[in-house]
Amino acid sequence: MAQPSAVQDNLRKELKNPYRRKGRRLRTWHHNKALWLLFLPCLLYYLIFRYAPMFGLVITFKDYNLFKGIWASDWVGLKYYRMFLENPDFWPLMKNTLLLGLYKLVFGFPAPIILAILLNEVRKATFKKFVQTVSYLPHFISNVIVASMVIMFLSPTGGLINNLLGTFGIGPINFMNEPGLFRGIYVLSEIWQHIGWETIIYLAALTAIDPQLYEAADMDGASRMRKIWHVTLPGISPAIVITLILNIGKVLEIGFEKVFLMQNPAIYDTADIISTYVYRVGMEQGNFSYGASIDLFMGIISLIFIYSANYISRRVSETSLW
Amino acid sequence: MNKWKSVMLPLVTAAMLVTGCSGGNNTSTPPAATGTSGGDAAATAGAKQEHTFTALLDNNATFPYSKDWPVWGWIKDKTGVTLEVQTPSGKLAEALNLAVASNVLPDLMYMPNRKESNKFGQQGALIDLMEYMDKLPNLSAWMKQYPDEAKAALSADGKMYMFPNQGFGETNRMIWMYRQDVFEKEGIKAPATYEELHTALKTLKAKYPDSYPLSVRYGQIPDEMNMSMTVNYETGEGAYYDFDKKEWRYGPTEESYKEMVGRWKQFYDEGLIPPDFLSLQTKQWQDMVSTGKSFVTVDYISRVDFFNNAMRKENPEFNMQFMAPPAGLPGGKQLNPYFHYMEGGLTVASTSKNIEDIMSYMDFFYSEDGRTLSSWGVEGETYVKEGSAIKFKPEFTDVIEMRKQTGLQTSGTYTWIDFDAHLSLFSEDLKHAYEEAVNYDPANMQPRPAFTEKENEVISITGQAIKKHRDESFAKFVTGSRKLADWDKYVEEMNNLGVDKLLETYKEAYDRVQNIQLSSN
Repeated sequence: MAQPSAVQDNLRKELKNPYRRKGRRLRTWHHNKALWLLFLPCLLYYLIFRYAPMFGLVITFKDYNLFKGIWASDWVGLKYYRMFLENPDFWPLMKNTLLLGLYKLVFGFPAPIILAILLNEVRKATFKKFVQTVSYLPHFISNVIVASMVIMFLSPTGGLINNLLGTFGIGPINFMNEPGLFRGIYVLSEIWQHIGWETIIYLAALTAIDPQLYEAADMDGASRMRKIWHVTLPGISPAIVITLILNIGKVLEIGFEKVFLMQNPAIYDTADIISTYVYRVGMEQGNFSYGASIDLFMGIISLIFIYSANYISRRVSETSLW
Repeated sequence: MNKWKSVMLPLVTAAMLVTGCSGGNNTSTPPAATGTSGGDAAATAGAKQEHTFTALLDNNATFPYSKDWPVWGWIKDKTGVTLEVQTPSGKLAEALNLAVASNVLPDLMYMPNRKESNKFGQQGALIDLMEYMDKLPNLSAWMKQYPDEAKAALSADGKMYMFPNQGFGETNRMIWMYRQDVFEKEGIKAPATYEELHTALKTLKAKYPDSYPLSVRYGQIPDEMNMSMTVNYETGEGAYYDFDKKEWRYGPTEESYKEMVGRWKQFYDEGLIPPDFLSLQTKQWQDMVSTGKSFVTVDYISRVDFFNNAMRKENPEFNMQFMAPPAGLPGGKQLNPYFHYMEGGLTVASTSKNIEDIMSYMDFFYSEDGRTLSSWGVEGETYVKEGSAIKFKPEFTDVIEMRKQTGLQTSGTYTWIDFDAHLSLFSEDLKHAYEEAVNYDPANMQPRPAFTEKENEVISITGQAIKKHRDESFAKFVTGSRKLADWDKYVEEMNNLGVDKLLETYKEAYDRVQNIQLSSN
């Protein structure tokens, strides 16, 4: 962070003496040359790999012909956007995507925070390390494996979970055939898969809390719960808010792969989301323009989400992304 | 990009030198191509001009591409052509997209299906083979012999962007299979109708209460399963052509389709199929079949060997055999779906500098000589002649091993295959299955007309909505979350989604292809 007062100071000096301005700029350039050089690869990376490809988005307004290339393809205006909006499945798809994202946010977001706080309270270092390792291992399993594991565990014909339920006399449940259960299963499997990995950021934030605060709370006779409530939570609240805002931006970006692998026709009611639809219609047909326009559409909605979340957060608390 | 350039530049210059030198006499000397007799090809073999073409070929994990395969030498002896092969580092479709978008195309490209080749062809990236028919005498003769297969190879605008394949598709057959040993032990005879199938499954369920006698890979290959199921009921899984009435019909709203749904619901209700058959994974299905929890299944024909080979080690009794497809309707036909065609094939880049030479090269594969070479290899080296019959030499006992060692029948080395070459290396059980399966083929292959881009949009938007509702409703009817009494309402819903529009699209595309005269050139 630049010191505003210093900047203003410099500005004032420069305004007073316009003749020195140019020399000064040169001198700062010389002074910071090494820093600029260090920054250059990063700048190039963003320009080449992040900004330049965005021009490719013009294909959403074109009848993209791979052979002719982007510029020679014919313009079609908003055709692909209209195609998507006029689709009879548009609203159910939107609803499924939003609800699945929302469920994941509401239940998936607090989970790593709770785990991080619990781990912070654990005094035995070896146990803490063990839990941490075990909980972030699933993050490295590929989605294909996770989806088959879920389907096999939940199978009514010899699946682990149904065998377990059977010992309690609960009849086999056909989990993957019930539209009402899909969202729960998906969110739970997401939590299982990523909880350990996501605690890392909170555990890092926790180490930044000044131990004197805990000592002071001890002196005041605070209980464990009180300390969590009044010291731990406020200590990591900036991290929580930032990740929350980022997560809100991702509500629509639910992992395509996993949902696609887990869905079957019996549960399309709740399990068919925009990205799986795009795959079936766009990619299988090789219609890049259509696929890209839906992507851009979703990207814009995500931007609106993240922007409003940031705006609200800036108003309500002091933390925000920008 | 750079890699391609470094490969392409010397090749292009070399090719230009070769073609440049030969100049005019090149067009007037295709003697090997015109004859149907194989003899003169061998006679001119010594005089063949040498060419090198670049090619992007598919790679199979079971027999990964090798440039040391003897097949390349054999092809070179006959045609004088060497292929400079690139294989995709990831998926073939991605490699193709990249090649087309970068505009640095290899001369020959293997495409996974006709939809892809038609798309790239219509965009201008591929050569229309119809324009070069005078350079392709063997292919022309082949097309006269197999007009249906030739028409299926055409794009919506009557052009042909991919060299048609024949023979190899046999491996795609889907059949019914059953545990003959279990059926014999329990004194059940192989069912010929769904009624008999039902009785058989019920008897088995009574004897083996924790089994699901019929199990299929529906969750993994829904399209194939739907086709297998509907063909038993003489209807279609979507739009299909009725050869008797000469019209396009839509299967999933027909009465016979309702019959079929009712039957599968019965199987489901009585526990004759796994309750989660809609989401069953391949591994689960394999386990059920191999551990004796299922006795009847529908899958690719090679699964006969797959199960027998693995299971007989522990259980010599284990005997998975071909089962005749049961007829669904009273007095109906016993049919298997027509799956034995091949979708992939070779295409030629429109940017290629060697088009005419490539045509003469590819035409070789449609000669008897080429067919024998790509199916059997070379006499004395891989096969021997016994009278008129051809036989692989005894050291070749297994198809996969044969392909791995010789490179025969791998991507880019064939178009027209004598399937007997494959068959001769199969186990007795699998051979028997192939011999039997032919008896239950439908009279005609379902037409697969190519669509224009506008029609493709209808297929992808309207067709997708209809298909989704069909799949969802099938699942609901079978599992009972929707009552079959609701059928009429379901038909209405389907029609509202645009079944008529879909059929009209198919009909138009079909008529257009039918009206193309193949022999006009």
